[in-house]
Formats: sequence, structure tokens, C-alpha cells
Amino acid sequence: MTSETSMRRSTTLIACLATLAFAALASFRGDSAPAEATLEEHAEEQAADEHGAPAEAEKPHMRAPIGVDLYVREDAWLRAPGPEWFKKQSDLQPGRFTFNEEGGDGEGEWVDAQNVYRLIYDEEEDVYAYWSWAGPEQLTRGRQDFLQFCSSCHGIDGDGYGRSGQWLRPSPRSFHQSNFKFTKVIQPLPTDAALMRLIKRGLEGTPMLPWALSDEQLTDIIQYIKYLSPEGEGWRDPFTGVGDVVESGEDTWVGKEEYAIERGKRLYHDPSGANCALCHPGYVNPSALGKLLGDDSVKARESYYLPVLKDSAYEVQGQPVKIMPPDFTWHQVRAGTTTQDLFETIASGIKGTAMPQWKGALTDEDLWALAHYVESLINDYKGKPDARAEFMKGLREAK
Amino acid sequence: MKLHTKMMQRLTSLWTSGITRASLGLAILCGMAPEALAGGKRWGPVPFASDFGYRFEDLFWLITWLCVGSFSIVVIMILIPSVRDRYKPGRKAHFDHGASLKDKRLATVISAATFLVLDAWVLVIAMTDLREAWWNIPESEEAGVYEVEVLAQQWAWNFRHKGADGKFGTADDILQMNELTVPNGRSVSFQGTSKDVIHSLFIPAMRFKKDFNPGDINSVWFKPITAGNYTILCAELCGYAHYQMFGELHVLESDTFDNWAADASELGVAAYDSEDTEARWAWDWKE
Ligand code: HEC
Ligand code: HEC
Ligand SMILES: [Cu+2]
Repeated sequence: MTSETSMRRSTTLIACLATLAFAALASFRGDSAPAEATLEEHAEEQAADEHGAPAEAEKPHMRAPIGVDLYVREDAWLRAPGPEWFKKQSDLQPGRFTFNEEGGDGEGEWVDAQNVYRLIYDEEEDVYAYWSWAGPEQLTRGRQDFLQFCSSCHGIDGDGYGRSGQWLRPSPRSFHQSNFKFTKVIQPLPTDAALMRLIKRGLEGTPMLPWALSDEQLTDIIQYIKYLSPEGEGWRDPFTGVGDVVESGEDTWVGKEEYAIERGKRLYHDPSGANCALCHPGYVNPSALGKLLGDDSVKARESYYLPVLKDSAYEVQGQPVKIMPPDFTWHQVRAGTTTQDLFETIASGIKGTAMPQWKGALTDEDLWALAHYVESLINDYKGKPDARAEFMKGLREAK
Repeated sequence: MKLHTKMMQRLTSLWTSGITRASLGLAILCGMAPEALAGGKRWGPVPFASDFGYRFEDLFWLITWLCVGSFSIVVIMILIPSVRDRYKPGRKAHFDHGASLKDKRLATVISAATFLVLDAWVLVIAMTDLREAWWNIPESEEAGVYEVEVLAQQWAWNFRHKGADGKFGTADDILQMNELTVPNGRSVSFQGTSKDVIHSLFIPAMRFKKDFNPGDINSVWFKPITAGNYTILCAELCGYAHYQMFGELHVLESDTFDNWAADASELGVAAYDSEDTEARWAWDWKE
């Protein structure tokens, strides 16, 4: 071997080793470790972020500065900075200010061709909150993303009747109805955050998947969805309450789950308790019901082991559809199966369907107990055909 | 130039050179292998669970080993002369275009032999398998055939079973979404179509894959031989959320299955909304 070739060989070897070492080092340091100069710049940027925090104007709720008076209705004057102010905010022609005659002190809507503003008078502070949603650029972006990602099911116009949504039950939501099932809020309408949470999580067991879109894209889409509310309904009705996901607080049954399940089971079947078995299936033998509740006069409904098909407010192409309450040992629960998720679902109810809102009607402790009971049914029997068959057989034969 | 910058340049040019990348790749592979072996991860296809699965398995390994064999021969035939005839001081190169009649004959014979042995061999087996297994879809009248209708859509699989009355499109049909439950040991025959774009029903463990196209009904079948849960995939890029379009196949022993089907059919009746005519999508089984 000439010295030249052996040189070449050892160079290659060293090169390989060096590259490996380099790669390893780089991976330890992390890809984006910036050079010193950029670090400083970065620090400056951060400082700028903190001081010049996003202007109030970008937040959905904001107080308008007190200024010009604005006529709202015969007996009420709202103080507003005036049409010029709106013009400045939106760079659009000032429009007309309407008010809702049904009542509500000093609430109304500022409407122009593209933008809708909501004005809510705050008597205590003597200012009114101004609430806008979405300018035309944002709505256009929202519509584009909606068309790309959501329209195959939810329809090109958001009417819930896209090509992939045909014959589908549960059918994709029509956004012309302003009704939402699983946002887990007590108020009729969810906040943007609640809607975004739902869209990111998806609905298990349906083609409504967890959407891995960016927060910006989802915000745009959500503004567009809100914009689809029919005139005077949903978000276009200034008096409809908007709320966030229901507070669940602490699970009061930690360490005492067995008792929770017992308590939940009683409530579930008790006609003077929660009576979930009125719609959902009963999971005790009718003749054992009296014993469970300590009251022999209680009678189970017919076909006790089957759920009862219920009317709903949802429509497909104008045709109302019925919705079946799930059998927890069989069907997929869509909005999450952790105790926390179940608590939220039961507490907030499912709007537009027979499933009532239980927050307020039951104490939080009872709601947690029900959540534990439903969770135990799912964990023990769902997707386990042998265990479920055994369980059902046991029920039918029980005395 | 600073030493630091020079070194960076060296390293960058090293990184872009092919040989470094190749050695890096090799090092990574060698690093991965023990982990994969120790961690019980599988190299190669999932174990098959349908009665014609062994045919796929045989053919797969036959082709793999044929490729490995012929590749090795080629590599050896390149290596031998590159070592034997490598540069030595005083050795003169000999140039040859292989254009003599003798060379051409040899090349023809070798190619023909390769084609006749390797390709024809694989082709004959493949065609036999298709005829005897994959295309040999069981007739409805055959005893024990279990039929399922499939409706693919963006992004979900809808399955319809006949239910208790043995007819499609009635109240007691069993509807499943992204989940399919079938009896073990019976031929399961599918007919399927799509609502929107082309999808492809793919159950790797059952060793089959079939496109379902809008406006057309395609058939496919398999016979499970091992009870268990298996993955259902979509094997045709069908849009943004294609990667999330999967489901689970449950193969149940026949007793368990019969219980399951009876309950499912009963719940199907309970959920049937006779006024909701828009929700119907079954078709008559195509013979
Ligand atoms: C593959 C079909 C499909 C696609 C695509 C789809 N959805 Fe849905 N979506 C559904 C179905 C089905 C439901 C109804 C589920 C139910 O009622 O249980 C639904 C429900 C919803 C709901 C209402 C949930 C509630 O609480 O009532 C929202 C909001 C929603 N989808 C937003 C979106 C957005 C935003 C996109 C696009 C990023 C999208 N969907 C894409 C099928 C789809
Ligand atoms: C008046 C009838 C009715 C009563 C009473 C009722 N539900 Fe429901 N429930 C329904 C209906 C209908 C649905 C299905 C809604 C849907 O799928 O859109 C449902 C759905 C559910 C779900 C599934 C939500 C999901 O994520 O898919 C849970 C959990 C639930 N109910 C729990 C309860 C509990 C616990 C009680 C008793 C405290 C109860 N329900 C009482 C009608 C009822
Ligand atoms: Cu697909």
C-alpha cells in the first residue's frame, strides 16, 4: 500500500468519526442554539413583546373610550366614541346602529356591510363594551380554510350537507343552526376557546377528527363559523349568552371510587334522582330496581335494557332527525371518556338533544359520582363482547 | 480567516460529501438494529391471520430472497474484477466494449435465463394465487359466507351487516363506523363503494387491499383464521386527513360473534328512525 492511499483511507475514517461526533454534539446542543449576536436580538425582541403587549384592540372584548353619545333607543342613550371611531377601527364605511326591542338595557348591534359589532352597556362602570367579530380579511381566510378542510362534510355553505356528509349519522353540524352539542358550556353558545378545544380534540367514533391545524387557522375558521349564524340567532343575537367550558372543580371521590360508583348507580336509576335510565338503558333488572332504591313502588319503563330514540333540534336538509342516547356498554361516547370529560358532558348536557343539563339540578358531588359510574360501565364492558354478554345475561336472570 | 470558521467550512463540506452521509446512515442502522431486536420490534410484515395469507407470505419471501440473491451475484461480480484488476504500477489497461458475437450471445443467454427463471417463476405463482385465492370470491349461496357492505368516505369507514333478517337495507341492519366485527373461520365477503373520492380498504394482517371508487361497486374477501384485533387502514391518499383514516377489525370466535350480532341487531332496531329516509345507503348484493 502506498503511503498516499493509506493517508486517504485514514482521512476518510477520521472524517466519518468527526461527522458522527459533530452530529452527536449538534443534537445535544439543540438545533436552534443561536449565535451570541442573535441571542441578544432575541432578548430585545422578547423585551419588546413584553412592553408592547398586543394592543387591547386585538382582544375580543374591549371597552370603548367614553366619548360621543349614540342614539340607541327612545329611552336610552349609549355613550360611544361615535361613527368616526368605528370608521377608524374598521376602515370601513360607518353603518347603521340597530337595537333589539325585546329589552336588555342599552344593548344593541352595530351593523355595516361587512362587520358586525356588539355593544353591551355596563351600567356600573357607565361604559359599554364593544365586541366585534372578524373583519372581511379574516372571514375570507376563514372561509378558504373552511372550504379546504371542513366543507367535504359540513358543506360548501356550512349547511352540514357536504358530499361526505350524506347519509351520515350523526350528521355533520349545520352551522346555519347555531346549536352545538359537545362544547361543554352552560351558556347557549361556546367561547372561541371552547370551540377551538372541541375542534382540536375531535369527536371520537365519528369522522369529525382531531384537527391538527394552527391556532391562527382555527381562529379564522371559528370566526367564519360564527358568521354563518342566521340573522337574529346564535352569535347574531346580541342577547344570547356566551360561556366557557363548565368548571369541574376537584373530584370529591378520589380514593372512594367504589362508593362513587354505588352512588352513581342509584342516581342513574332513581326516577326521583337523576333518572338517566329514562332515556339511556337501565343496567339493573327491573325486579331488582326496588331493592336498589329501597322503594318497591318504583317501576321500570318498557324495554328497560334498550335506549329510547329521542327527538332533537338537529335537521338534515330541513328534516328533523331523531337521536339515540348511547348505551355506555356498547356505543362510543364522543366527547371523551375520562372522569373529568364525563363530568363536563353530564354537567353541561348536550344542546339540541334530549340530554338535559345537569349542573344546578344535581350537586357537583353527585355529578362526579355519575361520571364515575358511567366511566365504570365503559371500562368494564365497552368493546368486551364476552364480558358484556355475561353482564346482560346476569341482569336478565337477576331477581 | 479565523480557525473556527475554517473548521466549520471543513465540517460543512464533509457533511455534503456522499461518503460521510453513507457512513452516517450505516452507523445509524447499526445502532438501531440491536434496539429493534431487543425491544421486540418486528422486522418484516405483521403475522398473517387469513387463510390465504400464507400465499402472500411465500411469494413475499420468494421475491425478497430472489432479489437478495441476484443483488449479491451482481455485487460479487463487480467486486472481483475491481480487486483483481486494480491499479498496479506498470499494468496496462485493456479496453473492451463487449461487442463481439461471443459476448452478445453470452449476454442474451444470461438475460433470457434470468427472465425465464426469476420473472416467469414469480409470475406463474402470482397468477395462480390470484386465481385460486384473491379472485376466487365466494358465492353468496356457499355455506357460511358472511357478507358486509362497505361505504368509504372522507375520512371514515362505514360498514353495514345484514342483521337478524338476513337482508341489507332494513331496520335491523348493523351499522359500524371505523370498527368491523366478523366471525372467525368464515369467509367474509365485501362489496364496497365510496361517497366522495377513491379509498382503499387495507387490512395488512388479512393480506388484502382493495380500492373502492365512487359510482362503482368492488368486491373483495378474506377468511380469518385467528381471532383478535387488527388494524384497518386506507391505502389510497384521499385528502388532508388520510393519515387519520383507520379503524379496527375484531375477529370474534363464533359463539361470541353470535351474541354480539344479536345485540347489535337489536340496538340497530332501537336506533332506526323510520322517518329519516336520507340516512339510507344500502344496495342489493351484486352477484
Ligand atoms: C369527515 C367529516 C367532517 C369533517 C371534514 C369535519 N367535520 Fe366537523 N363534524 C362532523 C360530524 C359528523 C359532526 C357531528 C358529530 C355529532 O353530532 O356527534 C361534526 C361536528 C362539528 C362541530 C360541532 C360540535 C358540537 O359540539 O356540536 C364543529 C364545531 C365542527 N364539526 C367543526 C369542524 C371544523 C372546524 C372542521 C374543519 C377543520 C370540521 N368540523 C371538519 C364531521 C366532519
Ligand atoms: C331525556 C333523555 C336523557 C336523559 C334523562 C339523560 N340523557 Fe344522556 N343522552 C341523551 C341523548 C339523546 C344523548 C345523545 C346525544 C347525541 O348523541 O347527540 C345522550 C348522551 C349522553 C352521553 C354521551 C355524550 C358523548 O360524549 O357522546 C353521556 C355521557 C350521557 N348522556 C350521560 C347521561 C347521564 C349520566 C344522565 C343522567 C344524569 C343522562 N345522560 C340523562 C338523552 C338523555
Ligand atoms: Cu381514504
